[in-house]
Amino acid sequence: MKHQWTDRLSEYLDDELDAADRSAVEAHLRECEQCRSDLGQLEAVVARARELTDRLPAVDLWPAIVRRLGTAVEPVTDLTQRRARRRIAFSVPQLAAAGVALMLLSAGAVWLTVARNGPPVVAVDSAAPVAALTVSAELAAYDATIAELGAALRLDGDRLDTATVRVLEENLAIIDRAIAEARTALEQDPASRYLNGHLGRTLRRKVDLLQRAATLVTAAS
Amino acid sequence: MTGRPSAAAAPDDLADARLGAAGDREAFERLYRRHVARIHSLARRMLGEEEADDATQDAFIRAWEKLGTFRGDAAFGTWLHRLAINVMLAARTAAARSQQRLVQGDHVVERAGRPKADLEARMDFESAIATLPAGAREVFMLHDVEGFKHREIAALLGVTAGTSKAQLHRARMALRAYLGGDD
Ligand SMILES: [Zn+2]
Repeated sequence: MKHQWTDRLSEYLDDELDAADRSAVEAHLRECEQCRSDLGQLEAVVARARELTDRLPAVDLWPAIVRRLGTAVEPVTDLTQRRARRRIAFSVPQLAAAGVALMLLSAGAVWLTVARNGPPVVAVDSAAPVAALTVSAELAAYDATIAELGAALRLDGDRLDTATVRVLEENLAIIDRAIAEARTALEQDPASRYLNGHLGRTLRRKVDLLQRAATLVTAAS
Repeated sequence: MTGRPSAAAAPDDLADARLGAAGDREAFERLYRRHVARIHSLARRMLGEEEADDATQDAFIRAWEKLGTFRGDAAFGTWLHRLAINVMLAARTAAARSQQRLVQGDHVVERAGRPKADLEARMDFESAIATLPAGAREVFMLHDVEGFKHREIAALLGVTAGTSKAQLHRARMALRAYLGGDD
């Protein structure tokens, strides 16, 4: 039995086939138990998708949203101007060194911006919401940790077997590409909480991976 | 799009949207309360549990900025929903694609050190949606959960209707394994 219609069963189910194809599928279904069974399961998946129920977020997001309304009410086109206002730039190493001082600027907020070919720069905008501060300070802390772990790993790298080193290198390359893409996206939309969070999570993955690598080095020595 | 019917009462929505457009935050909070479960669930399924809170915030911020453009010729829930999808798709074009590769990369590392049975622990249907490849997940969400047509999905995702159909079938075939029961 050739199941040439298996790939069209969803279209059959959704009534997306023309009359000729539909009767061909029906003819096949009459004599093919496997395809009848597949069709039944596909129907069950569609029914299940309709039954999915909506759920509230685990925490109330309104307080965080209302804090952002004040700044976000300005049109998106004015974002660049707004960012240019009262802006102080730090390099990431400076930031790491001045980490404590930065946390004290709690009335303002920190925007992470990245020059195309330069080091990451963090700008402080005293008109922006407080929520962004922790995110960007966290990002800076990750950069420092990553530099530290990376240096340690280079010193100890010869203790790992080549297969492990290759997997680690591949994964670091994937993460680095993700970090670069997240930073580019943040240039376009620096206020996006999603993108800031995404970059933070990506950096955290890199820290995790480097820490796992460091554990492997310790275990191997 | 057709969408699933919103539980919220439309007349309240229209009045609150007009008040919100004039700067009334309490009216906007009422809109938030009525619609957040729907938007957050959408975000959770489109982007994953981890990113859903942030994406939901971004969607409501954008809605606040755009309230003045809501004319009331569609239900507010439909308008908000489409706006949220656009916010999420814009973010994902930049970030979620790399996220997908990242997940696969992490998987390789985890496989190296974990017993096989652990990795194949059973998942519920909703969690399984999140593990679909990005293209298949987005089409499945938009078509089977949100009620969009292939033509609309093609325009939203920048693919052909044929690709949308193929991705939908792929997603459904993969999800058969998570229908539950004692199989
Ligand atoms: Zn068959």
